[in-house]
Amino acid sequence: MIHLLGINHRTAEVAVREKIWFSDDEIRLFLPAVKEKFFDECFMISTCNRTELYGVTKAEIADTTTEELSTLLINEVTTTKHASPDVNQKHFYHLQDIHAVNHLMKVATGLDSMVLGDVQILNQLRDHYALASESKVSGPVVNKLLQSAVHAGKRTKTETEISKGAVSVSYAAVDLAAKIFFDLSEKKVLLIGAGETGELTAKHLVARGIGKLLITNRTLKKAEEVAASLNAVPVPFETFVSTLSDVDIVISSVGATEYVLTMQQLKEIVKGRKQSPLLIIDIGVPRNIDPAVNKFENVFLHDLDSLSQIVERNHARRRTCIPSVNGIILEELNEFNRWYLSHAIAPTIDHLRDVYDSIRKEELDVHIHKFSEKDKEIVDLLTRRIVHRLIQLPASELRNGKGDSRQQKEMKLQVIRELFGLHHHHEHLDTNEENIGEE
Amino acid sequence: MDGIKFVLELVLPLLYLCTVVAYALSFFKQHQFAKRIKTVLLLVTIAVHLAYLLVRTFQLQHPPIISVFEILSLLAFSIAASYRLLEMQTKIKNTGLFVLSIALVFQIISSVFIEDVYEVDKVLRSNLLGIHVLSALLGYSAFTISAVYGVMYLLQYRSIKSNKFGIIFENLPSLERLEYLTKNGIIIGFILLSIAISIGYVWLPTAIENFSYFDPKLIGTIVIWGMYAVEIYLIQSGKRRGRQVMHLAISGFAFTLFSLTIINMYLTSFHLFIK
Repeated sequence: MIHLLGINHRTAEVAVREKIWFSDDEIRLFLPAVKEKFFDECFMISTCNRTELYGVTKAEIADTTTEELSTLLINEVTTTKHASPDVNQKHFYHLQDIHAVNHLMKVATGLDSMVLGDVQILNQLRDHYALASESKVSGPVVNKLLQSAVHAGKRTKTETEISKGAVSVSYAAVDLAAKIFFDLSEKKVLLIGAGETGELTAKHLVARGIGKLLITNRTLKKAEEVAASLNAVPVPFETFVSTLSDVDIVISSVGATEYVLTMQQLKEIVKGRKQSPLLIIDIGVPRNIDPAVNKFENVFLHDLDSLSQIVERNHARRRTCIPSVNGIILEELNEFNRWYLSHAIAPTIDHLRDVYDSIRKEELDVHIHKFSEKDKEIVDLLTRRIVHRLIQLPASELRNGKGDSRQQKEMKLQVIRELFGLHHHHEHLDTNEENIGEE
Repeated sequence: MDGIKFVLELVLPLLYLCTVVAYALSFFKQHQFAKRIKTVLLLVTIAVHLAYLLVRTFQLQHPPIISVFEILSLLAFSIAASYRLLEMQTKIKNTGLFVLSIALVFQIISSVFIEDVYEVDKVLRSNLLGIHVLSALLGYSAFTISAVYGVMYLLQYRSIKSNKFGIIFENLPSLERLEYLTKNGIIIGFILLSIAISIGYVWLPTAIENFSYFDPKLIGTIVIWGMYAVEIYLIQSGKRRGRQVMHLAISGFAFTLFSLTIINMYLTSFHLFIK
C-alpha cells in the first residue's frame, strides 16, 4: 500500500516547517533507516514549503492500522529532527494509495504550490528522486510514481498556461519591460531609492541579463552598498537626472512626499533622447514621479496599480487553467493505476503459475515413464502449454476486468488465493479507475 | 485540368479562412489544438496555392499576371509565403492572424472575380518578365507585411500606454521587435521594387512595341518608389521613430494599394497584356 506522510504550507507555518526540513545529507541517512522499519521502497522531498515522505509499506506491517502507522511515522520524523514538542500530529497529513498519488501529481503540476502554477517543484522532485535512487531505497512503484508525476508536471507546463505570466509586482515590471524592449542585455536601468520592492525588481532584471544597472539614493552610502551586492554603479542623488538621457528603464521606490522627477525635468531629457523608449516604473507610495510624464511620446509610466493589474490578470488566467490541469492529472492517474494494478496482481499470478506447474510436474513424474523418449518431449511441451493457457484466463480477467469496483477486484484476488492456498500473499488493489474518477 | 483549377479556386479561400481561424483561436483563446495545427495549415495552404498557380499557368499558357485579380492571388501567395519565412526566422508565431487576414481578403476577391484569359501578348513568355513581376510582387508583399506590423505596433503601444494588459499586450511581440520588423519590411520591399523597376526600364522598351515613359502604371510605380525612398531616409536618419515610422508604413501601403487599384482598373496601360 502506498502511504504519504507530509507537512506543507497549508498545514504548518514556516516556523514549524523549518524544523522538519531535511538537508540532502539528512535524507541520505533517514531514508534507508525508515525503509528498514516500514517500507519496501520509499522517497522523500523536502523544500521550504513542504516535507513529504512516500513509501510502499512492507507486508509485515499490513495489519497495522492507519492511525498506528501515522503515529509511528510522525515519531520517526520528529525524533530524527529533534522537533518535538514544537511539531505535533496536527501539523501532518497522512494519505494512502490513490489519494497519495493524486497529491503527488498536484505537487508536480503546481496545483499544491504556494503560488498557483509554480512548477519550480518539478526540478526539486527530480533532484530528490535522484537522492532516493542514490540511497538505494527506490523501487518499481516509486520509480513509476515519480515518472508519472514528472510527466504530469511537464505536460502541465507545455499544454496549459498555469505557469505563465508574472504573479508578483517585481516580476510584472520585468514582463512589462520585455513588452517594450527586445533585447534587455543592451539596456541600461536606473534604480532610484533602495526600497525592498525596487531592489527586488532590479534583481529580477539583472537575472534577465540587463546590460547595465545604476543605483541612486538620498544616502550615497546606502546606494553604494546595494550597488556592490548587485554589481551596479552608484550615482549621487543630486545628479541622477542627467543620467536619464541614455537610460532605458527607471525604477523608483523612494519614500518621499514630493516628486523626485517632474514633468519639467523630463521635458528637457526627452528632447535629447531622440524618441527612444523610456519605461518608468514608479513603485513608491506616495508616487515618486509626476504622472503627467506619461503624456510624452515613447515614455511609458507605470505605477503599483498598473503592475497589480498585470499580476491579478495572470492570477485569474492561472485559475482558469485548473480544470485542464486536473484533466492531465486524471489521465496520468489512470495510466499509473493501470500499471499499478498489473504490478499488484503479478505476485498472485506468479504464485498460481508455480502451483499449476508443481501439479504438472508431479503428474508427469508419475506418468512420464509410460511414454516413449520421443513422446516425452511432446508431453512436456503439451502440459506446459495447457498450464500457460489456464493461467492466462484469470490473469486476463484480473487485468482487464473493466468496471470492476475495488472490492470486486480485491474479492477476485481473494477467491484465487483462497482456492489455491496462496494465503501468504497480500496484494492490495486500493487504486482503481472508479476511485480516480471520484477524485 | 479545368476541373482541378475550378476546385482549387473554391478550396483556396476556405483554406486561408481555416488558417486565419486557427491563428485567431490561438491568439484570442490560447486554443491548444489550434496552436499545434496552425503552422501545418499554413504550409498546406501555401502548397495548394502554389499548385493552383502552376495549374493556372500551364492551362492558360501564361503566368497569372494578366488581370488585377490574378495579381491579387499572386500577392496573397507571396504574403503567406513571406510570412511563413518570417515566422521561421523570428520564431514569432502570434502575428499570423493579422498578416494572413490580408492574404485571405486578397484571395477571396481574386477567387470571386477571376476570369480565364487564353489570348495574351507573346511578351509574357519572357524569363526576364518573370523576374520583373516576381520582384515587384515580393516587394509589395514586404510593404503589406510592414504595414500590418505597423498596425500591431500601434495596438501594442496603446495597450502599454493606457494600462490595458489584455490579449493584445500578452500576445503581440515587444515594441522594439515590431519596429524592427516594420522597418525591415519597408527596406526589403524598396530593394525588391528597385530591382523590378530597373529590369522594367532596361528591358521593357525593347520588348514592348507601344512602350511609353508616360505610362500610368510606370509613373504610379515610380511615385510609390519615391515615396518609400523618402520614408527610408526619414527612418534611417533618425528623424522618424516609433509611432511615426508606423504611420509612414501604413500610409505608404494605403497609397500603394489605392494607386495600383486605380491604375489597373481604370487607366489604360501597356501593362495590359490581354489581346
